[in-house]
Amino acid sequence: MAQEFAALGTVLVLWDINQEGMKETAQLAKQSGASRVHYYLCDCSDKNEVYRVADQVKREVGDVSILVNNAGIVTGKKFMDAPDSLIEKTMEVNTMAHFWTYKAFLPAMIANNHGHLVSIASSAGLIGVNGLADYCASKFGAVGFAESVGLELLATGKDGIKTTIVCPYFINTGMFDGCQTKWPTLLPILNPDYVAKKIIHGVLTDQVYLLLPKSIYLIAALKNVLQWKVTSLLGSYLGLSVEADCHTNLSLHRKLH
Amino acid sequence: MIFLMDLQMMLLDVIYFILRNSVRIVMRPRTKPIDGELVLITGAGGGLGRLFAQEFTKHGAEVVLWDVNGSSNEQTAKLVREMGGKAHTYTVDVTSREDVYRNADLVRKDLGRDVTILVNNAGVVAGKRMLDCPDELMERTMKVNCHALFWTVKAFLPQMKAQSHGHIVTIASVLGLFSTACVEDYCASKFAAVGFHESLAHELLAEEVEGVRTTLVCPYIVDTGMFEGCKIREEVELLLPPLEPQYCVEQAMNAILIDQPLVCIPRLTYLPVLFRALLPWESNVVAYRFMGSDKCMYPFIDTMSKQSSNGSIKVA
Repeated sequence: MAQEFAALGTVLVLWDINQEGMKETAQLAKQSGASRVHYYLCDCSDKNEVYRVADQVKREVGDVSILVNNAGIVTGKKFMDAPDSLIEKTMEVNTMAHFWTYKAFLPAMIANNHGHLVSIASSAGLIGVNGLADYCASKFGAVGFAESVGLELLATGKDGIKTTIVCPYFINTGMFDGCQTKWPTLLPILNPDYVAKKIIHGVLTDQVYLLLPKSIYLIAALKNVLQWKVTSLLGSYLGLSVEADCHTNLSLHRKLH
Repeated sequence: MIFLMDLQMMLLDVIYFILRNSVRIVMRPRTKPIDGELVLITGAGGGLGRLFAQEFTKHGAEVVLWDVNGSSNEQTAKLVREMGGKAHTYTVDVTSREDVYRNADLVRKDLGRDVTILVNNAGVVAGKRMLDCPDELMERTMKVNCHALFWTVKAFLPQMKAQSHGHIVTIASVLGLFSTACVEDYCASKFAAVGFHESLAHELLAEEVEGVRTTLVCPYIVDTGMFEGCKIREEVELLLPPLEPQYCVEQAMNAILIDQPLVCIPRLTYLPVLFRALLPWESNVVAYRFMGSDKCMYPFIDTMSKQSSNGSIKVA
């Protein structure tokens, strides 16, 4: 996504807990045409750090006009077997980090009545998936929060600030490595380049809800329309579940701490 | 080839269940008996919690009451005992997982048996717009409405699974199925509660734990004072007034006793849920504006800010 935004001649500010990965992204972004790239080490689950680094950004770079809440983690274990601290961390990164970043950057957007809030949630934020109870909770929360803020902005007449909520199916970035999809033509494991391009397109066209792949629109609609038993049937036929032996970015997360 | 066979089987099953459930709506299924069940209710000192305790007692169950406020909890217990029921009270702060686990063990030790029906009812709202809301209040909303569910389920589900007998009830809200302005923290937490409950329900189904049921209760605004001041457009309010707490609890109880997986109270609220899923964002916004639901929380926020400036805000 950084590269895609860079190609459009924007100024990029990158946050991550992984310094090395961020440096690499910054270099690639510069090559793709970004006018300036700034990167900061920030653990977005810690609200004080978010506020501190946000102030730094405001001082050194200026006001942020497009905010992309993309950071996300998953425990990779069944809910009952997952340690409580990891469950809390999932909620902190996937949902509560959005509270703090919005609080840090939204006031300036409101003052200028200009901005764009992009929330990278997940299809698991629209449909409950077996095996991802805490992840679903956090992604549903992110969706509900982004929608609520979007509605508030409209109610207060701030139509210059747009909202885009992105709900992709599994993407093969290594976060859900090992997860199988039952019907690859209907519900493919997505390619990150494809997803990034679609997200940029969604932002440029002010699309509010972006579900990838397109079949998720139908599945999410059906889930709300049909009765429970039928929905769970649908879920099991479509293979909408995550097995406990999926390797996830949990090990990567451990290495960084 | 297998795909086509699977598809055919699935479509037949889908049609069968749609027909079967439609019949159930017409011919109300028999309610299940809950005499002697042990029901744990969080937030039992509050408006809905108290009524739930009384309803469950009416049906012959024994109740365990958890609330952070000891005196209102005792008040509920008194009412239950006056009805001839058995109530056990514990003062528990559900935002603290240690407190939850400790008291769960205490319940098992004191009563010598396991909780069979868990009613996650405790709920709070910050009552301020996100940009005006102190971070601690936002965190508190998340911790009570969402995190507490994790801890109580972890504390009581294993035993329910072991005995293949139990029922998990989550009292969420329609604001967990669609959102509105000014209550961002509440919406985030209730959406999360809904997502968690749904995922958990699918997990139980997949593990084929037949005896453990789940019910997600999504009531509209209930007239308990929690959302005092919330007001939609007058003409629409005739169709959709704030719910009487007694009515809300009766409908919820009915759903629980027939093992209904999801209930929205009143039934009219199934419509906005449907529209959110089917219609484009802009259509929904127009509908909200028409119904006055985009500004419905403004008077509520004003009431809350007046209360806090008078110094009477309750921080549990």
